Amino acid sequence: MKYVDEYRDAELGRVLSGEIMATVEPGREYKIMEVCGGHTHTIYKYGVDDLLPANVELVHGPGCPVCVIPMGRVDDGIAVAHVPGVIFTCFGDMMRVPGGSGTLLDAKAQGADVRMVYSPLDALRIARENPDREVVFFAVGFETTAPSTALTLKRAKAEGISNFTCFSNHVTIVPPLRALLESPDLRLDGFIGPGHVSTVVGARPFEFIPADYGKPVVISGFEPLDLLQSVYMVLRQLVEGRCEVENQYARVVPQDGNPAALAVLEEVFELRPHFEWRGLGFISHSGLKLSEAYRDLDAELRFEVPGVRVADPKACQCGEVLKGVIKPWECKVFGTACTPERPIGTCMVSSEGACAAYYNYGRFAREREVV
Amino acid sequence: MSCTADTHCITCSDEGVPMRVVTALEDGLARCEADGAESDVMIDLVGAVSPGDDLLVHAGVALARLA
Amino acid sequence: MSETTTRESEALALIERVRARPAKFKDAQITMAHGAGGKATQTLVTGLFLPAFGGEALRELGDAGIVEGLALTTDSFVVKPIRFPGGSIGELAVNGTVNDLAVAGARPLVLTLSFVLEEGLSADDLRAEVEAIAAAAAAAGVEIVAGDTKVVERGRCDSMYVTTTGLGKLDPRASLSTGALEPGDRILVSGTIGEHGTAVMLARGEFELEAPVESDTRSLWPAVDALLEAAGPSLRCLRDATRGGVASALNELAQASAVAMVVREAAVPVRPPVAGACEILGIDPMYVANEGVLVAFVAPEAADDALAALTSAPGCEAAAEIGEVKTDPPGMVLVETAFGGRRVMDLLVGDPLPRIC
Repeated sequence: MKYVDEYRDAELGRVLSGEIMATVEPGREYKIMEVCGGHTHTIYKYGVDDLLPANVELVHGPGCPVCVIPMGRVDDGIAVAHVPGVIFTCFGDMMRVPGGSGTLLDAKAQGADVRMVYSPLDALRIARENPDREVVFFAVGFETTAPSTALTLKRAKAEGISNFTCFSNHVTIVPPLRALLESPDLRLDGFIGPGHVSTVVGARPFEFIPADYGKPVVISGFEPLDLLQSVYMVLRQLVEGRCEVENQYARVVPQDGNPAALAVLEEVFELRPHFEWRGLGFISHSGLKLSEAYRDLDAELRFEVPGVRVADPKACQCGEVLKGVIKPWECKVFGTACTPERPIGTCMVSSEGACAAYYNYGRFAREREVV
Repeated sequence: MSCTADTHCITCSDEGVPMRVVTALEDGLARCEADGAESDVMIDLVGAVSPGDDLLVHAGVALARLA
Repeated sequence: MSETTTRESEALALIERVRARPAKFKDAQITMAHGAGGKATQTLVTGLFLPAFGGEALRELGDAGIVEGLALTTDSFVVKPIRFPGGSIGELAVNGTVNDLAVAGARPLVLTLSFVLEEGLSADDLRAEVEAIAAAAAAAGVEIVAGDTKVVERGRCDSMYVTTTGLGKLDPRASLSTGALEPGDRILVSGTIGEHGTAVMLARGEFELEAPVESDTRSLWPAVDALLEAAGPSLRCLRDATRGGVASALNELAQASAVAMVVREAAVPVRPPVAGACEILGIDPMYVANEGVLVAFVAPEAADDALAALTSAPGCEAAAEIGEVKTDPPGMVLVETAFGGRRVMDLLVGDPLPRIC
């Protein structure tokens, strides 16, 4: 498609790469965090790292909504999946996230009816087609995905579908960023802002980052050229001593977000007082649950969930990786006890997780000649 | 299905797929296509659409129009 | 690029050692991943089957077992639904086995055919598959010489499962081996990729997605015949890119020959509707099953002739050269992206498309 091809243009990439090389100050290290799983994926899929100079490092932050779901919540999901008659639906990434003792994929192998969907509408359709079964949708995602869940729940309510409920693990982007920035051991120079969360919430919610913490932010699109240009824009801010939110993805992201989306979120969801993030602990007002008006569609109210908090495994250093404090290979269990086939922490489960991405792709982001 | 190096879950990774409207449907839906692959998309968040409009779609919902 | 630190080098070396080790089968139960043709399947084969009964022929891990000038292969077909755009389970059953023989360098001669039928299967559906099998066998030039039929209770198999065993005679022009690849060899693919798996996924109707995609099931013997004629002893190895797609085939051979491979992403032929559907589903077409595509490794001096011969075979008009074999790093497949960067293309871990063949 036109949009996609233009932005993947390799020639423009080389030009931008040259401008970046010319902008950076030799001998100075630049660490830029990108917080969106989609950005991590693009960087690795296209080898964008290969076009950056050695002293510019991209750090992967907690932008994968699957990565941060704590084990206890996965266990809760598995418990619901095992309720006789339940059809448990979720996105692909969720199937391999380890809970206290197994994944949803394991639950499926043990006989639970767990089905992968690509959109909550697929789950609603399953509910319509199976009126005698309880259909549960395990919702994950940031503000990008929450509107899809919200609109689906609105439709379910309007149609009077009584066998459809939602188990919400939606999270919001600003609280974990603030928690990250409060970390004393954080060493970052700037941020690449999430591209599609911003289509919903706009660019303004990120203004606290330059205002309160003095770090530049550039909201980026998802094509490799977008990322390169955004890196360039962050570096220019740093070199010129500016500190603000810039919107590289203005062709899609409106400054004030999408009012219709925000309204439907307001109607269907409310903020939990706090929510646990794997590796980051409890963060207040960072999770969404169904609002009072949508109680009847709330799986957590319809089913008995254990609700037990499971501590992260001691060996797991996901928290430090998520904060960008250590690199994946610096984790003590990286590549040994924790691999993509046998992940301990969620940084290894999802391909957007920093560790899985590095394990599978990143080894050859380094200069290594293929002979 | 597992999410690994070979696949990535578009929904979880916050990706959007550019799609073109084929035809508006009832109930706030529109039939859209990307390179010939068609699916139904919720358009509640972008207002009325016409055939040929380009939309950014995520998890079955159009989040924005593409200029 | 910054230099790797000692700690990072250790971790990288560790990953490579782990990759090089033969896998041990330690799972407590079978999951869908074991049937995907990726890492879990490999673990099952190398960790459980080979130690138990793997002789010389099996250890080659080729598409067929070669014994005294004859090639023997077997395949089960559990595709759901049994009929899909471009084909059906019966057609797959014939072509899939014919192709395993063909890519082993053997002229397909005869097949056996086993049915496991579900109680309640309509006679019309069975008749349709039987006719499809007859037509595919005639088209492929093979005779069905033995068979078996079993019936299981309703719900115990989806309409039917089909197993075929094929026997072929090694072609005198063929000197193929999974361990024969040399740095400098060129990598050819015989047509557009990702069609079959995508067609079946869409036919399942689980997702609200439609695209004009059909299964590419066909006999690859004409293509193999053309390659053998054009390249003869310069043809190192062939593989049909079924479960796990082209990516899996390349990875298996890179490991078997302990060579590296570089694939030029822009050169890989993919039709737009397949690319579009895969983009929406978040799947890389390189990992999607094909039922009528092979990858060929050819010594450089014969590569151009081989490609020309391949494009003239039926269904192979879109054949293309997609990459090259290198020395280092052994066992790895790398992709040169259209954007100018590089990434690793690994073996599948999970099962993105279950029950597609």
